[in-house]
Amino acid sequence: MLKLTNIETYYGQIQALKGIHLEVEEGKIVTLLGANGAGKSTTMRTIAGLIKPKRGTVEFLGQNVTGMRPHQLLRKGISLVPEGRAILSTMTVLENLEMGAYHRKDHDVKKDIQNVMKRFPILEERQSQLAGTLSGGQQQMLAIARALLAKPKLLLLDEPSMGLAPLIVAEIFNIIKEIKEDGTTVLLVEQNAKQALKIADYGYVMETGKIIIEGPADDLLKDERIVEAYLGKKKTTV
Amino acid sequence: MLGELLNPYYLQVLCFILINIMLALSIYVPLSSGQLSLGSAGFMGIGAYTSALLTIHYELPLYVTILVGALLAGVIGIIVGIPSLRLTGVYLAIATLGFGEVIRVLFVNWESLTKGSVGLTGIPQLGRELLKFAKSIGIEPSALGLKNNQFVYLSLVIVLLIIVLFILWFVIRQQNSRIGRAYSSIQMDEKAAESMGINITYYKVLAFAQGAFIAGLAGALFAHTIGYISPSDFSYHRAVEILIFTVFGGSEVIIGSVFGATILTLLPEVLRFVSDYRYIFYGIMLVILMAVRPQGILDLYLFYRLKGKRIKRGTS
Repeated sequence: MLKLTNIETYYGQIQALKGIHLEVEEGKIVTLLGANGAGKSTTMRTIAGLIKPKRGTVEFLGQNVTGMRPHQLLRKGISLVPEGRAILSTMTVLENLEMGAYHRKDHDVKKDIQNVMKRFPILEERQSQLAGTLSGGQQQMLAIARALLAKPKLLLLDEPSMGLAPLIVAEIFNIIKEIKEDGTTVLLVEQNAKQALKIADYGYVMETGKIIIEGPADDLLKDERIVEAYLGKKKTTV
Repeated sequence: MLGELLNPYYLQVLCFILINIMLALSIYVPLSSGQLSLGSAGFMGIGAYTSALLTIHYELPLYVTILVGALLAGVIGIIVGIPSLRLTGVYLAIATLGFGEVIRVLFVNWESLTKGSVGLTGIPQLGRELLKFAKSIGIEPSALGLKNNQFVYLSLVIVLLIIVLFILWFVIRQQNSRIGRAYSSIQMDEKAAESMGINITYYKVLAFAQGAFIAGLAGALFAHTIGYISPSDFSYHRAVEILIFTVFGGSEVIIGSVFGATILTLLPEVLRFVSDYRYIFYGIMLVILMAVRPQGILDLYLFYRLKGKRIKRGTS
């Protein structure tokens, strides 16, 4: 569905991505792991069109979409939930959801908003409240709900668990699983490697702008190198 | 009795209030998309000089030249707006302020066209043209119980009022449309707006150009109201004055611009002794306002309360 070939992205003089090859299969959850500064978010931003790669190609549904602008990519079916819950804080929850369907011209928006609210009952309860007054977890749910209203084929989630309480994180991951079951492909960037690999089908591990390990999620969960670097090694007692 | 009330002086003050409301709106519109543009004085100058020169040299009808002046300001707004996209916040403010100065210096130095710092005189006045028109279709001011100069200013006020009401109607309608939603989402969070599929380049340039058009229109009407313009009318002071209209009144709500422009145009007239110290007064006021009420006198919260809506806060 999505294929990145030899992507190199720069911030000014600094090379953030050094030739990324990545593939996302339809109907799967693919996760992108790595430490701070590994280039995970840059990869996401490149896919969503927020930043143009210097070299390499992005293919979506067999079409070359390299260098397209975000609003064009959204029409093609790529929707990004940016890092740090970018919600519109002085609009109400309902207005935020309506904004998610901004580019759509069909008449099912109202129905879809109802459906999304069923999945996120807390949003229905607070629909007339200003979005800025929601708690962190609720804001993250709102951001995901809003992205879903764009009816994406591919949903990009940039660190949805960041700064949230463990219980809420578990809830968010459940929702991501449900989204996949509804037929939306998900590319998930996470620092929370263990949780992400548990729900993912396939995983990539990045380090300093390169992909160093990739494989089916189950294998990665057992991979010694990953266990050591990201999941925390069990200390052997002396 | 009626003659007493329709004092030309009062009417002229009313004209300036209406023009200043337009100028305040020319800052409000780009600001509603998160762009602080201080170029309004420059765009106003473009509108004023364009319309004035066209009427002086080509004797075109005023409604044509005023529209051409506003449109030219709008087009230049697009041209300036595109490179300014890379700038946000205070950097955009400085760049647009610089643009305004460039325009002013151009007016000072392009003497063959603009007569330099002397300025342009003998610009046809809109009110007098309206009087001529009224007489040509057989309406005599005296038949309405008005003196000639009362008719001149009264008709001018009516025309300006119609234009201001139209702009207000347009901006308010726009705010509740797709365009308005795009503006306010860009203002709140550009990244979020972009990820929702809003073409932020297009909407930012559109908002900027709309502001420039309104400023150009106000400038052209200004030229044909007072009949004399010089580069100093469009200087840095004017830019700051326009900004203060909006900031003082409240930049979150459209009525803030109307309120700010009205109060701050009236104030120096009512308190004559303040007039000379206007800029000192403005400066002090701005400092106090920024410290105490940075959103301006009128804000969204006030309107929520007036409507009886309770803003829910917290998570419970």
